[in-house]
Amino acid sequence: MIKTQFVACDHCDLLLDAPSLQEEQCALCPRCGHKISRLRKNLMSQLTAYGVTALILLALSNMFSLMTFNLSGNISEINLWQSALNLYFEQYKTLSLIVFIFIVIVPALVIALILFFIALIRLNHRPKALSNILRLIFGLLPWAMAEVFFVGVLVSLVKLVTIAQMNLGWSFWAYALFCVCYAKVLSLLDRYQLWSWLERGYAHDSL
Amino acid sequence: MTHYSEGSAAINGLVNCTECGLVAKKELTVCPRCNARLSPRRIYSLQVTLALLITAFVLYIPANLLPMMVTEKLGQVEYNTILGGIIVLWEEGSEPIAVVVFVASVLVPVLKFIILFYLCFCAIAQGAVSAKTRVNLYRLTEFIGRWSMVDIFVVAVLVALIQLDHLLNVQPGNGTIAFAAVVILTMFAANSFDPRILWDKPLKRDEITSARK
Repeated sequence: MIKTQFVACDHCDLLLDAPSLQEEQCALCPRCGHKISRLRKNLMSQLTAYGVTALILLALSNMFSLMTFNLSGNISEINLWQSALNLYFEQYKTLSLIVFIFIVIVPALVIALILFFIALIRLNHRPKALSNILRLIFGLLPWAMAEVFFVGVLVSLVKLVTIAQMNLGWSFWAYALFCVCYAKVLSLLDRYQLWSWLERGYAHDSL
Repeated sequence: MTHYSEGSAAINGLVNCTECGLVAKKELTVCPRCNARLSPRRIYSLQVTLALLITAFVLYIPANLLPMMVTEKLGQVEYNTILGGIIVLWEEGSEPIAVVVFVASVLVPVLKFIILFYLCFCAIAQGAVSAKTRVNLYRLTEFIGRWSMVDIFVVAVLVALIQLDHLLNVQPGNGTIAFAAVVILTMFAANSFDPRILWDKPLKRDEITSARK
């Protein structure tokens, strides 16, 4: 019924033998060049390490001020969640929630779910719902916009620097580092490998 | 009605699950590993993509005409649209930032519209460009899609930060909602497009008429 000896390319549907990769090898589709799988060295430990670091940094970036705006003595200061949720009080409730979801909730959820998934795999515990978690992780990926928000912060900084004195807070640096760790997690994440971790729990004698 | 491309899973009677990448027999309707619905090509991929794309295109008009940001400086109120904001940035001497905002909020959405409309067209008629180039164009739209949100985030940060009553304050404009909707809808459009149909051959006209008989 299931044919795990085959994979098919997502972008051109070419039927291929399932890749058996050595560490640091990458399998590309011969027809369209789409990445089928890439196996990084110590993938699981690296994902855990960068994931935990990213979560800590995200928590830190919610604790301090993002930046301070000083226009000849008139000072205003925002932190990360204010930058999204202040729109809420300007009658732009939907927009503010969307911004908050894109820049904090989704990235945090993606990493938390990856760590949860790895923890259960490590414990050799594979409940049925685990496949739904894995689907959710890959479904959420396009909606995490941490690095886009960071560019947005940089653009607004440059806009304001000409009219007022700007000071960067600790949150700014924490969020910058979070973006780096998050990008690293994304580059490590590999759908084929993660599903194969889940797979090992299944009996494939019937194939 | 298409001929599946050569060497594809579909032509071999197999289905690739787009959610988890499992290859199963085409008789299955639900993926045995992840419970996603299975079909050789995404059902109504073109129709859904086009519907989302046209909606986004309609919304792109108010997104450009309505103000993104309303600035009040010493009692003087100023309305800035997307293009207006870029021109102000350019004139103030921050050309690099003007270029960044221009790329993110004008070039990227327009490019996405052109590419996705073109790919939808390619799927029903043979285009001049090779399938490999087309799939690369598709990857480009997938990759650049999220970057248009930069402008929305800039507005969010500025509104949150600059509230000094009548001295200087910034309010969001109605354009933000339309623009955010454009970005989100085009992302959904890119997601619902199935690049695998780019490799399949559409039926020729005489084949369609013979199929009708």
